[in-house]
Amino acid sequence: LAQQRILAADFLRMMRAGAKKLTQNVPAVNALNVFPVPDGDTGTNMNLTLTSGVGEMEKQVSVETVGKLAEALSRGLLMGARGNSGVILSQLFRGFARAVADKESITTRQLADAFRRGVETAYKAVIKPVEGTILTVAREAAEAGYNRAMTTEDPAQVMEAVLEEARRTLARTPEMLPVLKQTGVVDAGGQGLVFIYEGMLSALRGEEELLPVSELPDLERLADVAHENAQAKLDPSQIEHGYCTEFIINLKTVRRPTEKFDEALFRKEMERFGDSLLVVADDELVKVHIHAEYPGDALNHAMRYGDLTRIKIDNMREQYDRVTSGHGAKVEPAGQEEAPVKEKKRYGIVAVAAGEGVADIFRSLGADVVIGGGQTMNPSTRDLVQAMEQVHAEHIFILPNNKNIVLAAEQAGQVMNVPVTVVPTRSVPQGLSALFRFDAEAGPEENRQAMLEACAQVKTGEVTYAVRDTVLNGLEIKAGDFLGIAEGKIRVTGKEKNRTAEELLDHLVQGGTDMVTILYGQDVTEAEAKELVQSLESKYPEIEWEVHAGGQPLYYYLFAVE
Amino acid sequence: MVQVKIFADSTSDIPKELAESLDISIIPIKVLIAGENHLDGVTLQPAEFYEKLRRIEDVPTTSQPSPMDVADAYREAIRAGHREILSLHISSKLSGTYQSALLAKSMVEEEFPDARITVMDSKSVTYAFGVMVVFVARAAKEGKSVEELVALAEKVRKEQVLVALVDTLEYMQRGGRIGKVASLVGSLLNIKPIISINDEGEVYPLDKARGKNKAVSRAFEILKERIPGGPVYAAVLHAGQKDQAEEWLQKVKAMYDVKEEIITDIGPAVGTHAGPGTVGCLLIPLDRLQMA
Repeated sequence: LAQQRILAADFLRMMRAGAKKLTQNVPAVNALNVFPVPDGDTGTNMNLTLTSGVGEMEKQVSVETVGKLAEALSRGLLMGARGNSGVILSQLFRGFARAVADKESITTRQLADAFRRGVETAYKAVIKPVEGTILTVAREAAEAGYNRAMTTEDPAQVMEAVLEEARRTLARTPEMLPVLKQTGVVDAGGQGLVFIYEGMLSALRGEEELLPVSELPDLERLADVAHENAQAKLDPSQIEHGYCTEFIINLKTVRRPTEKFDEALFRKEMERFGDSLLVVADDELVKVHIHAEYPGDALNHAMRYGDLTRIKIDNMREQYDRVTSGHGAKVEPAGQEEAPVKEKKRYGIVAVAAGEGVADIFRSLGADVVIGGGQTMNPSTRDLVQAMEQVHAEHIFILPNNKNIVLAAEQAGQVMNVPVTVVPTRSVPQGLSALFRFDAEAGPEENRQAMLEACAQVKTGEVTYAVRDTVLNGLEIKAGDFLGIAEGKIRVTGKEKNRTAEELLDHLVQGGTDMVTILYGQDVTEAEAKELVQSLESKYPEIEWEVHAGGQPLYYYLFAVE
Repeated sequence: MVQVKIFADSTSDIPKELAESLDISIIPIKVLIAGENHLDGVTLQPAEFYEKLRRIEDVPTTSQPSPMDVADAYREAIRAGHREILSLHISSKLSGTYQSALLAKSMVEEEFPDARITVMDSKSVTYAFGVMVVFVARAAKEGKSVEELVALAEKVRKEQVLVALVDTLEYMQRGGRIGKVASLVGSLLNIKPIISINDEGEVYPLDKARGKNKAVSRAFEILKERIPGGPVYAAVLHAGQKDQAEEWLQKVKAMYDVKEEIITDIGPAVGTHAGPGTVGCLLIPLDRLQMA
């Protein structure tokens, strides 16, 4: 007999299975990228997003209700969202979670309704929804599920209807988006969603293989346990390591070189600084709790692996004194736990950029934090939030510098408790032009306008390589060919890097062009870049050419044409 | 009619012949370069200075004339029969020359109770200051009083529009004369600040641009915004960039009804702080000046 309601445990299994199915199919989704450039990362982005969501569900120690699980999922998705498809995915489940917020278990109708609410939320979150994408797939699927729910009490049948319609709509996406048709692919985000639905259905049918449960213990909870133990022997003469020290290491620190992080080794190293050591790590962040006698030493050591945030240091001997002198029954933070309060700056600027040279230029123009990422690794909402949190400012400007990071930046902005202005810069050249125009004396809106204008006045050129064969805009492209991309459109292909770059510039340079800034990537030598510039200088003597080592991966050259 | 005797320090960058023809006495600033002490514009001429700057690693420095130097100059004029002196000086925000002149004034007035010396802070520098002196000297020849001349100098300062481009901020920064332009330092990108002098006599950025081409376009845009048209007095100032200065002057002539024009060298003293390659343009809308 078919099960009539989805219980919390079922929902967890569904989402685990959905995530697993997507993980298995990341390469397939990435391959659907329209442009044959090495940034086909829709699958990667969606997978990292969903993994973050399911990870948050797993942290719920006792699975109680669908509503609470969905809320955890939504929270995890929101913070883990990367790339546009990741952000949309997070919004789909955000709406879903709201619909089931107070539900212990859900019926077919409630399931179908939750899908619809998800679609509504996602459409609202996207400023200009484009049909033929994940949004359309989700909408049509939700409608089909809703219709089926009228006639069945079996959630698996609703899920089946959702999946079938999702597949059908996915197959139609090339009809809706010309660029898909031209490339001969279906929408990557839509395909990712179909994989997730496939996993969810398999769980409802009891067909999914059990995923290994990844246990990422919650540091706060563990720290509490550690403190309870510490309190038991709370005699100051017995406290050997007097400072309770907690902090987070950002392993993705790019502003300076850092050492490679190895968790086991790190634990060993940290043990010499004190006791009650707790370390929780993922790829980006390491949460550390330690009772140390010299917290500075512990912090200095941790700095080797990345920058530190959320630093909290309590003097435990002082806390003990307070407890025993009766000024408070509870152990409280000693008051000076926060880093010394700096005067808040009026503006803080966060920029996303790959390549140390590019990051240096952004910093030299006033960016407070440059967060790594760009073409292949889009930072998550959480990464962006953390970057913004490092900036002590009354108003934050964020420059995503990539069209695929704009949405995540907007989502991150909404999480912050200070006003955030997202300047939707779609490329590094746009970001540099925008930041160049930034005026610390001007108001936020004035700055936003000036920065948008600056974006419009620069043209972006990129030289990269093709990751697969294709025909686009009448150009026959072979995997490994160099590609010249002008303002997001592939204009030139070639077998020679600098030649491709020159031909690309022929497309970008116009009568009014005054100057071109060239950022050469990590796979271009200084000599090659110089050679290119010499050739360009003699070809266009009236234009000023400025060259910098950008150090960016994948993109041999970035051109800012003004 | 008592003609007022006009003094100015050498940072006014008034061409020597012009100063002589208008009876302006120039008090030289001291410039130390490559271990040699020079008097700005007396023992060291602009062309020679920029040539030295190219050849040697040494960083030149400047120092204000001592109160004694200034007093000697005033005494000489008084002994020659002058009783009214107007002495104009570089912005007190940029140099201590004004201070030296004030001390010299009190010394000399004690010695010569019938002499009256008026010391004025021009709140400006280079020919933006020089043009004030030139207009004042002409009016002095017409027999205007010190009070009228001071008012005229102020008027010329207020009505003129100066835009200048420095090739690099290095010299301004090194010499500590960077003022409000400091915010542009440190950029890895080639940023050309468009600078001017504000009412307080400080150098400040009007705007900035990427690269020289854009900076020049923007500088002329600013001129056009501030002075849309009409008859103008036009001066182009340059630090060893004669050809560029000629180009600038042609542009100005194409844009305005230029009644009087001049190309002036930014002398060694100012050049030490502005750096070689600096080019600027100042315009005075003559119709506004006459509405005094």
